[in-house]
Amino acid sequence: MKKLLILLLMATTTISQAQDGKAETEKKTFSRTTSVSINIKADKSIIWTLMTQAHDIPRWNSTIISLEGKIEKGEKIKLKSTVDSSRTFSLKVVSFTPEREMIWSDGLAPFFKGVRTYTLTKNENGSCTFTMHEKLKGITFPMAASSIPSFDESFEQFAKDLKIESEKIQNTKD
Amino acid sequence: MENIENLNQEFEKCRSQLKAYILRITTSKEDTEDIIQETYLKSHKNINSFRGDSSLKTWLFTIASNLAKDLMRSKKRWPENVTDICKEAAMGNQAFFQEAMQIRMSSSQGNFEIKEHISFCFTCVSKSIPLEHQLVLLLKEVHAFKVKEIATIMELTEAMVKYYLRTARSKMVEIYDHRCSLINKTGVCHQCTELNGIFNPKQKAEEELRKIEMVKNADNPDKEHLMDLRLKIVEDLDPFSSAAAELQLHHLQHNNQVMKNHLKNN
Repeated sequence: MKKLLILLLMATTTISQAQDGKAETEKKTFSRTTSVSINIKADKSIIWTLMTQAHDIPRWNSTIISLEGKIEKGEKIKLKSTVDSSRTFSLKVVSFTPEREMIWSDGLAPFFKGVRTYTLTKNENGSCTFTMHEKLKGITFPMAASSIPSFDESFEQFAKDLKIESEKIQNTKD
Repeated sequence: MENIENLNQEFEKCRSQLKAYILRITTSKEDTEDIIQETYLKSHKNINSFRGDSSLKTWLFTIASNLAKDLMRSKKRWPENVTDICKEAAMGNQAFFQEAMQIRMSSSQGNFEIKEHISFCFTCVSKSIPLEHQLVLLLKEVHAFKVKEIATIMELTEAMVKYYLRTARSKMVEIYDHRCSLINKTGVCHQCTELNGIFNPKQKAEEELRKIEMVKNADNPDKEHLMDLRLKIVEDLDPFSSAAAELQLHHLQHNNQVMKNHLKNN
């Protein structure tokens, strides 16, 4: 019983930590996963609109230098990020469920693949939890791992920018 | 019968607001007159389908907005530097200045005031943001509709209204911060003070500028506040009945024609 309580307490702690906008990275031999979650006091549709209006994203998101293309299922997008401003990432929107989840990916499995998942969950108090999760994996990953910069800072900034902008829009005077 | 009477009363009450709103979207006096007339006819034809879910004013603005959207949808938006392009065209058009000077000298609505030009400039520059964003901005910030009413007028969710409003304001703040020398010493556009020198040669522009709240607050780093002050100027001026209305409408007609030609060739 005591063990169960400790486990429950640990699980609760993990959830609350996960929503505080602090990024976490898990490194394995053939993969690296970074994720961040943040609580946003705004309507799901506002957050989703901000996440999907490609041309407008660089305005509020200080981690994105440019973004070309449409964020819709099956569409290809070109993204320049502050993580590595010298590179343009070509990504594909592989999954798109409005106001719930979308997945972008690039690379070629099984050699090297990056998959980024965005999730929005509505909470009971009306706020939303935004989660961004990126997994880099593949058989060539160990060779490239040391040259791939950490995503932690960029993920935290992304989540923070999204929270600030969403809440600003939410709080527009009626 | 009672419905028609109420409608007529409401139409007369908001006619000047409707006209100002449509003029700022179309930048054409003729198109504005047509849309206002069509709004009147449509509202009469459909008054029995009006269920009172919104106010009559909101309903009239919905009809007028739809007509304006239908007219403008296929037209290209204007570029951010519209005032530069139109200034260059005006410099090579002596007839335009002669006509303007004639209006200045003879019309009771031919005054030139910097404030009036700020409002005129806003009309031109706001045509560079997407049409729906422009309409939401005008409805909220110039005509004081509530988010819920705008959602009805524009057939959008309240969330989208708020989003459009935010992006419209942000874009306008960015454009003016970059361009307007009234709020930014390195701003590239001085057109209102230049024109003041032409139309009011004896007036000291500095003194006139000091009367404008937005200019007095130019050093305020809160750009949103400066935008609010600019919008207040726009809100307070009726482009059809102000003391500078004829002069500014003449200028607007010129810019409209210049942009038509410019967009055809670009």
